[in-house]
Amino acid sequence: MSQISVTGQTAIERATTEARPVYFPRRKKGIRPRSIAILVFLTMCAAFFCVPLYVIVVTSLKTMDQIRLGEIFSLPEVWTVQPWLTAWNDACSGINCNGLKVGFVNSLAILFPSLILSLAISSVTGYALALWNVRWAGPFMFLLFMCAFVPFQIIMIPLIVLSGMLKIYGTVWGIAIVHAVLSMPLLTLIFRNYYKDIPNEIMRAAMMDSGSFWRTFFEIILPMSGNILIVVLIMQITSIWNDFLVGLTFGGLGTQPMTVILANVVITTTGEVVYNENMAAALLTAIPPLVIYFFLGKFFVQGITAGAIKG
Amino acid sequence: MRIRWSRWAPQLALTPAVAITMVAFLGSMVWTIYISLTRSRRFPDYEIDWSEWGRQYARLFNDDAWLIALKNLLILGVGSTLAIGFGFILACLIDREKRGEGFFRTVFLYPLAVSLIVTGVAWRWLFDPNLGLQAFFHSIGLTWLRFDWLASGDTAIYGIILASVWQGSGFYMALMLAGLKGINTEIWSAARLDGVSTWKFYTEIVIPMMRFTFLTCAILLSLGVVKAYDIVVAMTNGGPGQSTWVPAYFTISAYWQKSNLGYASAAAVIMLLITAAVFLPMVLLTLWQQRRSGRVAA
Amino acid sequence: MPSVSFEHIVKSYGAITVLNDLNLSIDDGDFLVLLGPSGCGKTTLLNLLAGLLEVTDGRITIGDRDVTDLDPKDRGLAMVFQSYALYPTKTVRGNLKFGLSASKLPPEEVEQRIAWAAKLLQIEPLMNRKPAELSGGQRQRVAIGRALVKKVGVFLFDEPLSNLDAKLRTEMRLEIKKLHDELNPTIVYVTHDQIEAMTMATRIAVMDGGVIQQFGTPDEIYERPANIFVAGFIGSPAMNMLDARLKVDGARILAEVEGAVGGIDLSDYPFMNRPNDGAQIVLGLRPEHFGPLGVILPDAAGTIALPVQYGERTGSDATVYFRTGGKLLAARLDPSQLHAARQGETMSVSFLKGRANVFDARTGRRL
Repeated sequence: MSQISVTGQTAIERATTEARPVYFPRRKKGIRPRSIAILVFLTMCAAFFCVPLYVIVVTSLKTMDQIRLGEIFSLPEVWTVQPWLTAWNDACSGINCNGLKVGFVNSLAILFPSLILSLAISSVTGYALALWNVRWAGPFMFLLFMCAFVPFQIIMIPLIVLSGMLKIYGTVWGIAIVHAVLSMPLLTLIFRNYYKDIPNEIMRAAMMDSGSFWRTFFEIILPMSGNILIVVLIMQITSIWNDFLVGLTFGGLGTQPMTVILANVVITTTGEVVYNENMAAALLTAIPPLVIYFFLGKFFVQGITAGAIKG
Repeated sequence: MRIRWSRWAPQLALTPAVAITMVAFLGSMVWTIYISLTRSRRFPDYEIDWSEWGRQYARLFNDDAWLIALKNLLILGVGSTLAIGFGFILACLIDREKRGEGFFRTVFLYPLAVSLIVTGVAWRWLFDPNLGLQAFFHSIGLTWLRFDWLASGDTAIYGIILASVWQGSGFYMALMLAGLKGINTEIWSAARLDGVSTWKFYTEIVIPMMRFTFLTCAILLSLGVVKAYDIVVAMTNGGPGQSTWVPAYFTISAYWQKSNLGYASAAAVIMLLITAAVFLPMVLLTLWQQRRSGRVAA
Repeated sequence: MPSVSFEHIVKSYGAITVLNDLNLSIDDGDFLVLLGPSGCGKTTLLNLLAGLLEVTDGRITIGDRDVTDLDPKDRGLAMVFQSYALYPTKTVRGNLKFGLSASKLPPEEVEQRIAWAAKLLQIEPLMNRKPAELSGGQRQRVAIGRALVKKVGVFLFDEPLSNLDAKLRTEMRLEIKKLHDELNPTIVYVTHDQIEAMTMATRIAVMDGGVIQQFGTPDEIYERPANIFVAGFIGSPAMNMLDARLKVDGARILAEVEGAVGGIDLSDYPFMNRPNDGAQIVLGLRPEHFGPLGVILPDAAGTIALPVQYGERTGSDATVYFRTGGKLLAARLDPSQLHAARQGETMSVSFLKGRANVFDARTGRRL
């Protein structure tokens, strides 16, 4: 109900049309000195975080002549993308000089199957553990919890042997499957915790309506999982793309992911170190997850807290 | 929700996960532990000489490289706690000064999107004695400043620590921010009304209230340090000499370079034990926290 | 429409037994309300009937089928939940359709049923909306629609009106009653709200502590409660419970109670067994069965003279509270009389004949 004045205007209309008489002039508060100090400090920290990135970018666009001069922070005098092209096409990883593009393709080829496998298994397992009555669910989840923390090295050799027996060792599929296996415990727990929050009554209604494990999953639960799927997807993409050890252990000639190629390029160099190419190679490897980060950062943060605060 | 077919369907659906857990995890662990008791070299040798079942472990702890690796693990662990402290400070500042929270959070967190190999490559470049930061500092007159830590066996590990802190602070900052936001806003208001000084407020109220978050960070950090491998490879590849070897590096090297299954397995088992030692408090912590959330949370 | 029966139902969770040897028989077409406070076991019983919980022991039959071991979807039931439980990612049409996913009906039949339910509940214009875009009342209708399309004989309602505001509640009560009148299914309805129970039920089972305290029509429950619990649960303001002693003198039976001059005459009370002289009883007097304030009625069962504690008005009604032995005695009166009630002053009010309830002081059961 608006208060209509004698002239028919509402209080709100009056406030916006008339000039308000000032009775007690107030001094405008500026920004407090403490805020400035904090912001300055934070900006310096931000600079600290940006330095490596800046240096890589700048170095990758310089010519070797300029690099040899040693001014690490200076901008390129002559901007050149040649290092990028060389890194992409001709960089030498061991005896193969086919550039990072090989690694890029491999990383992609590893990424997609691995994503599908890990998401499929973990979501269904999490769903079964969260919303269905399985008597041994408690102990099993504790087991999963422990497996999530186990160091890779303790299961590395048997996995190598197993993948050899299954004839997937050294293949892109092998790497993908190992990634899916290693990430299964953590992702399952994340899905399970998410599904635990689904209102109880929805499952009860689904039991009355359908009673089917799979139908309920695909028609009711999965459509409700949008949020967690994106978060997990981003977590997995980052983790798989940036992984080194698994790719090193299970990758063969021609199937190594980008990070392994990068490491080979940078570490095993004979002769002069071609810094700008190395930096360009590093950037090429870093860009895909960084792009995802800058566009979907919000889900990234959710992934961190989901991954860290579990159980 | 569990009558008849409804009882079987979920259990069937769980079989892949159960199979993976049993075979790939538990079975593998048991196998590795077993092999660590054998004399396997290039190929598994399943015979255990029970009179000398611990010989691989004895060899291990007589191996200088392993002892260096353990020492480095400790140094790395202690040094990396800087990341937690730094993360906490950043979180407090951001939480305090609401302006620019989105921007700063984005900047501090981006290292997490970057592979440790890339991080290692970048910092290796920064540590280059002639062309990196040292050259820069010298060129602006700070000739006494040495930034060639990776060149010397004594200081190389600190270079790795610096790079780790750079990479990880954002992560701990994110966890701390979440913990800070969990502190009831009324507590801030009450402190303001009481006129508590900032320093006292943080040391006597905030930090004790964030006990659980700190503990979580410490445990996650420890687990991460045990797994440290990529960054070592990228920055120093274990060098100079063996001065930056860590247990993970040792284990991988024992397998690939030395082709000694038994030896590598023993090293892996020790890694597992260290992980378990860190993990146990985590389990107790989770149980304690579950019990605590039954009561009124502070 | 089938009848439902529970035989010797036992439900335990480990060492804790929630329902112990419960028996209940519901006729076809009945609107049975399970009424009771929270924790009394009514929701457990409903879930057992639905099949969402498994019985520890006992048998449940629907019609002439033993459904004790059947899955919920095979029992021929439909359920409406307290928070509607609509599938958030599906449209109204999708929700109704999913209700039929267990049945293997041809698509035309499915469409037909959806159209019929939509028309009946007047939700046709909402068919393509998602639950988030619906109001509370609309959601409840869709939830009912999802149950209707199954075209089963038994409907289960789990406190469906608790989440609605008062006005909507009244509307939906009428809707549900209308549905029952039109389609005549057997309904099992759980609630803690006695108004819903009294207005909608054909039979009420009042429960407390896992035990059915009384099973009967709303009138029976209200007029002749079987024990103190039922008597106190139904009726607002609650029935006054006064400790008293019986004085039996031949055909004349009197209840000696504090504040009643000359006691309350119970000579015409239908005792089940002849009462003993000196028996300790609890006398139950409903507030609305008192006469006007300050008036001593000649043919009353008795008259209470007690100090007034306070009086309150609830719109169309007024209640005056008297103080007696540490408790309050409530008496309903016309709002116009309220001004006459002065605090602290002892005033009289008569209790009408034939309206008293007598309970054994020790067992609480009706005498």
